[in-house]
Amino acid sequence: MPHEMAFAGLFRWNVPLLVVIAISIVIGLVMVLVFAWTSDQKAIRVAKDQLKAHMLAVRLFQDQLGVVLRAYGSLVAGTGRYLKLAFKPLLFVIIPLTFLIIQLDHYLGSTPVETGQPFLVKAQASSIDDIALKLPPELTATAPAVHDATGNEVTWRVVAQRDGAYDVSVAAGGQTAVKRVVVASNIAAVMPKLSSVRLRDQWLDRMLSSAEPALPADSPICAIAVTYPDRSLDFAWIEWNWIWLFFVLSLVAGFAFKSLFGIEI
Amino acid sequence: MKFGFISAKRRAALLWLVAVAVMLTPVAAHAYAGPGAGFAVLSSFWTLFVAFLYSLYAFLTWPFRHLLRLFRRRKAYGNAKIKRAVILGFDGMDPELTERFIAEGRLPNLAKLREQGTFRKLRTTYPAISPVAWSTFMTGVNPGKHNIYDFLARDTSHYLPYLSSAEIKGPKRTMKLGKYTIPLGKTEIKGMRKGTPFWHWLGKAGIFCSVIRVPVTFPPEKFPGVLLSGMCVPDLKGSQGTFCLCTTRASHGKFREGGVRVAMQRVNGVCQSYIPGPDDPLAAGSELRAEFEVKPDAAAKQARISLDGESVTLKVGEYSEWLPVKFKAGMGFNARGICRFYLKEVSPEVEVYVTPVNIDPGRPDLPISHPVTYSIYLSKLFGPYATLGLAEDTWALNEQVLDDDAFLAQAYGNHEDRERMLFDALEKTQQGLCACVFDTTDRVQHMFWRYLDDDHPAARNLPREQRPQVIQELYARVDVLIGKVMQQIDDKTLLMIVSDHGFKSFARCVNLNAWLHQNGYLALKEGKSESGDWFEDVDWSRTRAYTMGLNGLYLNVKGREREGTVSPGAEAEALKAELCAKLNGLKDPETSGIGITGVFDCDATYAGPYVDNAPDLIVGYGEGFRASWDSVMGKVTTQIFEDNLKAWSGDHCIDPRLVPGVLFSNRKIADEKPAIVDVAPTILKQFGLPLPGHLDGKAWTVA
Repeated sequence: MPHEMAFAGLFRWNVPLLVVIAISIVIGLVMVLVFAWTSDQKAIRVAKDQLKAHMLAVRLFQDQLGVVLRAYGSLVAGTGRYLKLAFKPLLFVIIPLTFLIIQLDHYLGSTPVETGQPFLVKAQASSIDDIALKLPPELTATAPAVHDATGNEVTWRVVAQRDGAYDVSVAAGGQTAVKRVVVASNIAAVMPKLSSVRLRDQWLDRMLSSAEPALPADSPICAIAVTYPDRSLDFAWIEWNWIWLFFVLSLVAGFAFKSLFGIEI
Repeated sequence: MKFGFISAKRRAALLWLVAVAVMLTPVAAHAYAGPGAGFAVLSSFWTLFVAFLYSLYAFLTWPFRHLLRLFRRRKAYGNAKIKRAVILGFDGMDPELTERFIAEGRLPNLAKLREQGTFRKLRTTYPAISPVAWSTFMTGVNPGKHNIYDFLARDTSHYLPYLSSAEIKGPKRTMKLGKYTIPLGKTEIKGMRKGTPFWHWLGKAGIFCSVIRVPVTFPPEKFPGVLLSGMCVPDLKGSQGTFCLCTTRASHGKFREGGVRVAMQRVNGVCQSYIPGPDDPLAAGSELRAEFEVKPDAAAKQARISLDGESVTLKVGEYSEWLPVKFKAGMGFNARGICRFYLKEVSPEVEVYVTPVNIDPGRPDLPISHPVTYSIYLSKLFGPYATLGLAEDTWALNEQVLDDDAFLAQAYGNHEDRERMLFDALEKTQQGLCACVFDTTDRVQHMFWRYLDDDHPAARNLPREQRPQVIQELYARVDVLIGKVMQQIDDKTLLMIVSDHGFKSFARCVNLNAWLHQNGYLALKEGKSESGDWFEDVDWSRTRAYTMGLNGLYLNVKGREREGTVSPGAEAEALKAELCAKLNGLKDPETSGIGITGVFDCDATYAGPYVDNAPDLIVGYGEGFRASWDSVMGKVTTQIFEDNLKAWSGDHCIDPRLVPGVLFSNRKIADEKPAIVDVAPTILKQFGLPLPGHLDGKAWTVA
């Protein structure tokens, strides 16, 4: 898909932190511009000014309880007005940005399975009586399967001997389904596209968390999942989940650009 | 169904539905939807967080403050006869005109006040000039104790004027760095008005006061209450208002005062010009400028004006809103103000009028309120507003840069801002003092008296039936405002409506310097028959008396003036008596009117520690007369009397006995001859406070 190619090109850079910083700055800029174009800038300015005025009223007339209480009431109402004004631009950005973040999360949210480290493969099926796992030669199961009859779920512990992308097969009810597993030794530096789960049906869940094609609708297998480790980024002496770092950096970038362009937010 | 057929209401509902659906179905890591949502949430959170901190602070300190307030209020309100005093000042509201308009049925609310409460003429100060009278109003003392005798005072070492109310000086220390002179320290502002405003006494006693735009309150003084400064607040240039006319029309004519003409360059259909700003703080002698451009559209009779990243499209005859203007000095030094544009013409020439650059109330470079946050609060609540003391640009109308309608639009725009401030103050001050002064009454009467007079020289060409009823409408507007205030007060509130002076026609100019010259009291340099501004050609060694400003007459006293010729004591007293005798009853040979109806010896008129700064005599001009424009500026001409042809056609700087102010109240006031000096002691007494011994006024008996 074109967007995957674009990300793949970008991620050849292979420095997740720099990628997050770059994306945050670009998104911060784009969002500020979108906010400016889609919002009523004058109304937002007035709403913010009114909020500041009510805050100053609390300070200026602090000995007059009635005035202070009315100012608090106006603050709450003013905040509501401001949120209402911010809602329209929010509508313009929330859907594309949600999808963008989902896509980015496939690259930045988790690291591949580390070579030589055990990981879990889980499968959920309508019946788990005859369920079986078939591994490529580079992967080895290190413990017997654990069956959870109440959840119709089976878990295998697996270890990979070499870097690479492998397909593990799960057979049940006479049908076989495949799930991709990515293994690497330098997990912090690489950013392959990862999908922790492959699902049948569950359109919304698939859209939000899976990067693989749906399992066939008539398959007895509902889901196959691989437990990829969460990725953490080291920035400013703090370990970050990428989404929090993106949150902070895009906000900082946004506030910097808003000042630069004189945009009311 | 096509989307276009969905009604706006349904479309909005659909959008809400989608948004809610998206928001209700997040996956943990995806709940954050980027900076847009972040901004909204963070800003709102910040607001609520700060509000919460304030609340916490208010909550924790409330018991202590409440106890303190109880203690102070018991002391303050223990003997109080009223819960609240509301004083509305209407600068220049005239009792005779008011009575006339009441009789014509134009002022129903004032008529009601007169019937149910009080209406009196209010004796004014000597002279009857706003800064003098309002200073007396607030301090309860005569000018000898508050030191304000006119807008201008004179420097005895140079015979030059300076602003009497405030002195603004640059930082004392500077550092030279290449071509720059870096100021070290702050601009110094020194208030020249002495005495203590009565709201300071009230504030100290725990009575909250909101004081809005009372003249001569710049620089704002600290007191327990809020105050927005009025008349005498300078513009960003430090002047009392300098407008700017930017024009493509070739002209070298200079405005007499109050404005500058700036050339506008037309390049490829775009006109470029600038707004002159304050002096460059880094380079002495040079002026900062804010450049702007105008793209005229002659066909549409409009133009797009771009200034500092903001653009506004104006039709001919239209004002912009207040726009921020930034003067960049380099090295991070900036001066910020606000101004309004008025598009005068787009074809064949392009002309734009720019108001004086006001101090931005939202980011004041100089303090214009107490506390500083009060002007910011008002700006955030109502938007930017005029802060200049003399905010209505009378000079621009005088110089015919603005026409009547443009001037009135400006004046009433400011008036509406003040009304909003007043009603906010009334809401915030349920107990205590709320005082607000409106200038519109003064400015509009100054500029439009010509339409009220039967035969004013400035309106002789306009038939009576074509004259607009500007002053009648002004008084009616004031009456409506008073009516609204009356609806907001209860019977525990004392309402006072006061004016500092009345008004009369200003049809004839008197050049007193010319009279002094022709009568041998003022000498010109050899070969001169006239003198330029500020006594340029006066021979001080042979001069015994001179005048500058509106009503003051000065002797050239030895040891006081740089080149004094009159010995203090007997000689000076004799000269004063001689001048009084000659000037009193001075007749205009052309109209046979009495040009001067009284001359008052300041030694007998004033008492107090600042009497030495007073003029020697106060000249009381007769009805229809006033000091000439030239005489005010220290110019000596050959003509003593001449017609006043300017739009500035009404005035009050005459014999104070002829221009008392008004006093209305919702309560009965027994005193038959109240004076403006009595207001302060009356308010203090109504709140049950002891009267300071130095006050000159007497508290009225209020029912």
